[in-house]
Amino acid sequence: MGELGQIHQLILHLFGLRLAFNLEVILMTWIAFGLVILFGYLCARKSALLPGPLQALGELLVDQLYQLAEDALDKELAVKYGPMICALFMFLVVGNWLGIIPHLEEPTKDLNTPLSLGVMGFVIAHAAGIRSKGFKSYIKEYMEPIFFMAPLNIIGELAKIVSISFRLFGNIMGGSIIILVVSYLTYSILLPPFLYAFFGLFVGTIQAFVFTMLTVVYISVQVK
Amino acid sequence: MPFDLDTWVQVAAVSGSGFAMGLGAVGAAIGEGYTAAQANLAVSRNPDLSGDIFKNMLVGQAVAESASIFALVIAILLLFLDTGNASMVKAAAFFGAGLSMGFGAIGSGVGSGIPGGQACLGISRQPAVASRLTTNMLIGSAVCQTPAIFSMVVALMLIFIDFSHLPVHPTWAALVGAGMSTGLAAIGSGYGGGLAAGASCEGIARQPTSTANVTTTMLVGQAVAQTPSIFGLLVSFILMFKSFPPGEPFSTAMGLLAAGLCMGFGGIGPGVGNGMAAEGAVRWVARRMSHAGDLMRTMLVGQAVSQSTAIYAMVISLVLIFVV
Repeated sequence: MGELGQIHQLILHLFGLRLAFNLEVILMTWIAFGLVILFGYLCARKSALLPGPLQALGELLVDQLYQLAEDALDKELAVKYGPMICALFMFLVVGNWLGIIPHLEEPTKDLNTPLSLGVMGFVIAHAAGIRSKGFKSYIKEYMEPIFFMAPLNIIGELAKIVSISFRLFGNIMGGSIIILVVSYLTYSILLPPFLYAFFGLFVGTIQAFVFTMLTVVYISVQVK
Repeated sequence: MPFDLDTWVQVAAVSGSGFAMGLGAVGAAIGEGYTAAQANLAVSRNPDLSGDIFKNMLVGQAVAESASIFALVIAILLLFLDTGNASMVKAAAFFGAGLSMGFGAIGSGVGSGIPGGQACLGISRQPAVASRLTTNMLIGSAVCQTPAIFSMVVALMLIFIDFSHLPVHPTWAALVGAGMSTGLAAIGSGYGGGLAAGASCEGIARQPTSTANVTTTMLVGQAVAQTPSIFGLLVSFILMFKSFPPGEPFSTAMGLLAAGLCMGFGGIGPGVGNGMAAEGAVRWVARRMSHAGDLMRTMLVGQAVSQSTAIYAMVISLVLIFVV
């Protein structure tokens, strides 16, 4: 059970800085990117008016995600942020499912991946907010209800990054720890496949959806 | 009479095990009872469907039981695991693990019974969507388990990670605090998530065409209602993995314990409150689908305000850990 909470790191010393790279996570992230691009390529390869099975699947996915974006934002913004939303969802789903393949691990199991995606969503939402409302009324919102509440409002906004990224990280990492411990206790007999199905496929899909939806509604709260 | 280290570890393991299963038995039983009560109501309303309702009740109760089963696993681990080299830090970790899992199972157990009951009622009201209701119930009550899963993860980490190289004095308080933080904070989030899931089953039965909107709102609402338990998990992780120098004054150790308690208790109310906000939003999305976006935005803003107390608790916990 020694591997609980251990990470393989490459540490470089450049210009007096100590740079740490989590090699496995980087590799798994690139594998997830590759699988998403492969899926996109296979879906669009033989595009026809009468879609093949893969094209139909891809169109269904994109259509549903655009519909969700349209419900939360309006039509114009949905078209603008649609590609980002689709890419985010696809990457998260593939990333969360990656752990069910032997020798691969979820890139979302490492806090750095959800945290950077959370920061990305935060920056996009606030940029959209400033663009649609103007800088002055954007700043003014932090002064609600009175000006000295501003620090707490700012902490409240920053806590959104913590909650959105730790929700994904906690679920995926928690699932993998439970699978590890149960596999160790039962000598990998009988139970682990069901746990992989539950935590990998089911929880992974739900958490990918929740992360994507929360990014969309954070944008919508800032814009309106 | 002086005890040796082995005895202390044994004492911590058995008392932790007792807390884990004793407290862990509370929630699921209440939740399952609620499911059964609503199933009775459903059968009396629509006796022809008693078979379907009975089946749905059993499935719902089986899911609601999982929080207690997590507690059972932790209790058995604490009782029968070979403890290895004994130290006072390990004793504290075992006790913290028991508390984390025991408290953490309460909310999710009660909460995940609610969608089961509402799904039974829904089947009697709208038999045509029975399978859709069962699916929604399963998704809703599985997401309700997340706070209990967080508690189980913290309990497993406390049991299996080797903390013995750390100095005994402040670490014991940090580990017990880590258990309390996630465990207590999970109570509110688990119950709140159940409220949202219950409203979604009711909504689907009332308006079957709203299923997609209702399920989406439910998932977002539940996810935000889980935020206090995520803050609890964050404080637990900091308490477990920050290394504290030996020979700190006693007040520092108590500060670490207090940080866990502060985040734990501070997370209960916001979890329930956010769940109520989500329940309202889900219920009214089903009745007025055309304004689902507005309703979800109102829910999120309301939840953010109700969550601010959890954020105050987190700020004070972090001050207790890093400053005091």
